[in-house]
Amino acid sequence: MEIKNSLLKVAFSLTLSMLFLSCQKENTGSTSVNLPVVESYLTPGHPIIVKISEQKSLTDTAEYGKPITGLQVFVSDGTTNVQLAEASAGSYTYTDLNFLVTGKTYTLQFKYQSLTVSAKTIIPAKPVNFVTQYDTVSIGSSGFSDISTIDRLSWDNPSSLNHVLVFDCLDGSAFPVNVNSFNSAANTSFEENTTAASYYNLNQKTFPYLGNYLVTLLSVNQEYINLITSSTNNATSQNLSNVPTNIVNGFGIFTAMQADTLKMEVNE
Amino acid sequence: MKKLLLLLAILGITTLAFAQHTETILKKTIINKLFTCPLDKMLDTIGQKYRLNIVFERDSLNKFDVVEHFFEEPLKNVFERVCSQNNLHYWIESDGTIYILQNTDDLERLKKLNATNHLFQGKAKLNIEPAKGPPTHFLFSINGRVIDQSTGESLPSATVSVRNTHLSTSTNTDGNFTIFNVPSDTCVVEVSYSGYQPDDMRLDAKKINTTLVFGLFKALNTLNEVTILGKKSGVMTTDTKKVGVLQLTPESLDKLPNLGEKDILRAFQLMPGVGATNESSSGAYVRGGTPDQNLVVFDGFTVYQVDHLYGFFSAFNSNAVKDVQLYKGGFSSIYGGRLSSVTEINGKDGNKNQPSFGVDLSLLSLNAFAEIPINDNSSLLVAFRRSYQGPLYDKIFKQFNTSTVDAGNGGSGGRPSGGGFNESTTPASHFYDADARYNYKLDANNIFTWSLYTGEDVTDNSRALQIPSFISTGGNINITDYTKYGNLGSSIKWFRQWNKHIHSNTYITYSSYFNNRDDSNSGTTIDSYGDAESFDRGTLETNNLKDIGFKSEWEWELSNKIKILYGGFGNYQKINYDYIQNDTTSLISQHNQAFLGGGYVETEIDPDNKLHLQPGLRTTWFEPTGKIYLEPRFSASYVVNENYTLKAATGQFYQFINDVTREDIADGNRNFWVLSNNTNIPVSEARHYMAGISYENDQFLIDVEGYYKTLSGLTQYTISQSQITPGSTTNTIEQDFYNGSGQAEGIEILLQKKLGRYTGWIGYTLANAEDKFAVYGNSFYPADQDIRDEFKSINMYHYYRWNFAAVFIFSTGHPYTSPLSTYTITSVDGNTLTSYNVSKINSERLPDYHRLDLSATYDLLKLSSQKIGSIGLSLFNVYNHANIWYREYQVVNNQVITTNVKYLGFTPNITLSLRWK
Repeated sequence: MEIKNSLLKVAFSLTLSMLFLSCQKENTGSTSVNLPVVESYLTPGHPIIVKISEQKSLTDTAEYGKPITGLQVFVSDGTTNVQLAEASAGSYTYTDLNFLVTGKTYTLQFKYQSLTVSAKTIIPAKPVNFVTQYDTVSIGSSGFSDISTIDRLSWDNPSSLNHVLVFDCLDGSAFPVNVNSFNSAANTSFEENTTAASYYNLNQKTFPYLGNYLVTLLSVNQEYINLITSSTNNATSQNLSNVPTNIVNGFGIFTAMQADTLKMEVNE
Repeated sequence: MKKLLLLLAILGITTLAFAQHTETILKKTIINKLFTCPLDKMLDTIGQKYRLNIVFERDSLNKFDVVEHFFEEPLKNVFERVCSQNNLHYWIESDGTIYILQNTDDLERLKKLNATNHLFQGKAKLNIEPAKGPPTHFLFSINGRVIDQSTGESLPSATVSVRNTHLSTSTNTDGNFTIFNVPSDTCVVEVSYSGYQPDDMRLDAKKINTTLVFGLFKALNTLNEVTILGKKSGVMTTDTKKVGVLQLTPESLDKLPNLGEKDILRAFQLMPGVGATNESSSGAYVRGGTPDQNLVVFDGFTVYQVDHLYGFFSAFNSNAVKDVQLYKGGFSSIYGGRLSSVTEINGKDGNKNQPSFGVDLSLLSLNAFAEIPINDNSSLLVAFRRSYQGPLYDKIFKQFNTSTVDAGNGGSGGRPSGGGFNESTTPASHFYDADARYNYKLDANNIFTWSLYTGEDVTDNSRALQIPSFISTGGNINITDYTKYGNLGSSIKWFRQWNKHIHSNTYITYSSYFNNRDDSNSGTTIDSYGDAESFDRGTLETNNLKDIGFKSEWEWELSNKIKILYGGFGNYQKINYDYIQNDTTSLISQHNQAFLGGGYVETEIDPDNKLHLQPGLRTTWFEPTGKIYLEPRFSASYVVNENYTLKAATGQFYQFINDVTREDIADGNRNFWVLSNNTNIPVSEARHYMAGISYENDQFLIDVEGYYKTLSGLTQYTISQSQITPGSTTNTIEQDFYNGSGQAEGIEILLQKKLGRYTGWIGYTLANAEDKFAVYGNSFYPADQDIRDEFKSINMYHYYRWNFAAVFIFSTGHPYTSPLSTYTITSVDGNTLTSYNVSKINSERLPDYHRLDLSATYDLLKLSSQKIGSIGLSLFNVYNHANIWYREYQVVNNQVITTNVKYLGFTPNITLSLRWK
């Protein structure tokens, strides 16, 4: 009977403990909707601009969140801590062009609703030897053109650092490559991740429009790559996750980059 | 009657021959007679003349008059004629008694009438031969086999006991049993099995040295027992020794609502502890586990793809399956390699006595089988089913595959017409599977079985497009969009009875799984200069797994108190996973192989009739990590009295292979298998603690079980694809390996009514399943499969030849992650990036899931009351409740639009089943 009793005890203590465990309350509270959104790209030789806004409710039809005004925003390079001035609603600037220096780490900090919001970034080196194989490239008129390489952009990248290419069609959307194509609503400017390589191959599909292009090679930090490679397309309740951010107690991006540019022409 | 019994006793025919004897009389006896009398008088006359025990209700049959001249007619035809004319059926019971029935349900009443008559007449119902003399042998052991008399199929889990003793056992998967210390050679051995008439046999000096064969006759098809039973409950067997085991015989599944196919894995979902609300997976979510933590073994080989049509149907054809066991946890050391549960499926041997055929036709598929006895020693079973693209198939297909969305321009549904440039095609899609099983009995002690299973799901959305002139000066594109996934598995089994106490099953197994998708387009375009340019691009995704194995499982019965189970196994697994873009770029390239091998030993100890102890140890060496994994297991049960049983189990479990989902919203998620390694995919580990108590009487069973499980070394491997700009030609694939741990606990309550016109059960589960992955924080959060409350009510009502069923399922909604707000920033190219601020992982709950399914089945019977088929109508989700599968979020005009993706609404189905022998 002893066995019976101990077995009974085991069964019931297990049963009881389960009842208690199952009744624990879930912690679902979240105040993250009040956190501010930061957007700032630091480039040496340019003023610091930090845009700070609120998040938008799911039903909000405005493009951007409401600017947050009246904040005391500081950027520090480790030794000097400067306060930014609010140039326009929610846009804080610092105009000393000598403040940002390659290789230095900068820290953003401000207080919002009793929380200290901060972010850190390092100024990457300026791209070197950015060249194009051809200054002018021709593409066919077909929308189903092949994907063989028509031009190669290259630069020095011995340490496999992150770079992003930005293409801006200076002639706008006047001459689309494909009339009535699937991509007729393509933007006149777009960016490509070079996946830390030292070159990027261009093909006919790269260009939605004919015309003169300003191509900018940006040396960027990982936080920027994280941002642009996180797709929010096809979000479902099964795969939804936060887009990576380097802002503590906030969302958005505070990152530094340096640019080199070249021009090229795309014709038929 | 006395004379008949005496005659039979003299002839030395054992009980199982009584019915055959009656059959013989019916066939061989030729009638030449004119009857002009009431039917009861006619039956009296025949009964007396040919010494047949015919039982009927005199009052009812007296009303029927027979005026018929039989001329050279076999007696069987006479019975069939009069039954047919008067809308009656006859039924031959295993004791040789013929019952005349107005309704099949009359049998029970008539049986009682028969017994009372005998008692009244002072004749004991004696259908067992008396002992031939005083006992001559004492305390010996016997072994034997329980089979279906009409097909020769062995019957596992049948109860075998020695009358007036405590000696009792149940047959193993091959239908074999051994009983030790039988008191004397005059004892009577009794055998019972659900759905069959019980049988008994008097031992004698000669029989005890042979293998006893009990051929059971099917019981008349009346629903006086529930179809799915916890084996532990003892309703089906008196085996109280196992914890958390569910057993199912597919034959009775037609009494439950079904959606096109009798589905063995779906049926388990009606029991507590097995999740019932995952319409997109017929895999088993057992006690907070996921389907990939459930080992599925079919005739000895592991099955890696267990379902068809995006998970809606299980991959197993119920016509080829003899029985299925689901071990909900704490399972024996015979099984290993999975964290949560085991589903063991045994294929049918096929009819060994006469050829039989069957066809099931539903709105979804055609299912046909043949069972062919080849010679005295071998039999063959083949079964095949294939879906056809009818309305029901399309409805389910579209539920899971949104790539058929019409891009406007009218739903022509076929090839796009010349001038248009839309993609309104309906992909051609089907699934099929085939089973073959060949059974060869070399001699009484050696049986070889070859089993083959193959199944495929194919979706072909390929098409050719002509490029209209307003886009280009011409050209053509061939779009290939071909998806194929499936299984091929095979095993050769050698059963050997070495002596009375030792037998073994040795397998050579092969199992392969593949999942391939070719999504590419190629063709030519003609540029503005009139030159043709060819192109070829797209993605090709292939995943294949091969598993070659050997295992040998031994059982050695030392005495009635101790049985030792031991064996060894070795597997070689190889997995290739490639994701190639534009013929050149390899996005994913994984090529892994592993050898794993080991052994197990387990002891079943029964010190008395009340206590059962089962300690075991399993050990596995896994090549990639170079480590040996030890898995101690233990289970025990204690019979308190005839009503109460206590039971408990615990154990450690390892898993060396992982299922990965690559999310694809448009074309349905795709699943792959990857092997554990020493780096980012660890070997996962689980510990189970479970205990339960059951109460049972003749009418009811109440079973309560609780469990607690811990899991560690879990891997979440997600593959996401991003394409930065529309113009971009290369996708970037991001593979994330997240490691974490989990825990699950719960209580399951089952209340079952076992007998009567109305049967059924209520199941309730209170459960909690949590995960902790560092990437989501340091605290436990509800796992994707977490369900707090689940309530199931299964009701079956039997009314003559009708079976009605109502199944109601209610469960708390699944946890999900939702966006709380959005924010937009400008990227360096001047475009905007809108992101979601997402809630804590799985912190929200979808609305409760509930639905009601109804079914009605009408049995088709021969005049001899043998079932030859059925017609069934099933209504799925009768009140068309919109159960939400998941939610989709899209940013349109800066606003977030939420779309509920729903599970299947109201869906009717009709099934026709026919059987020929």
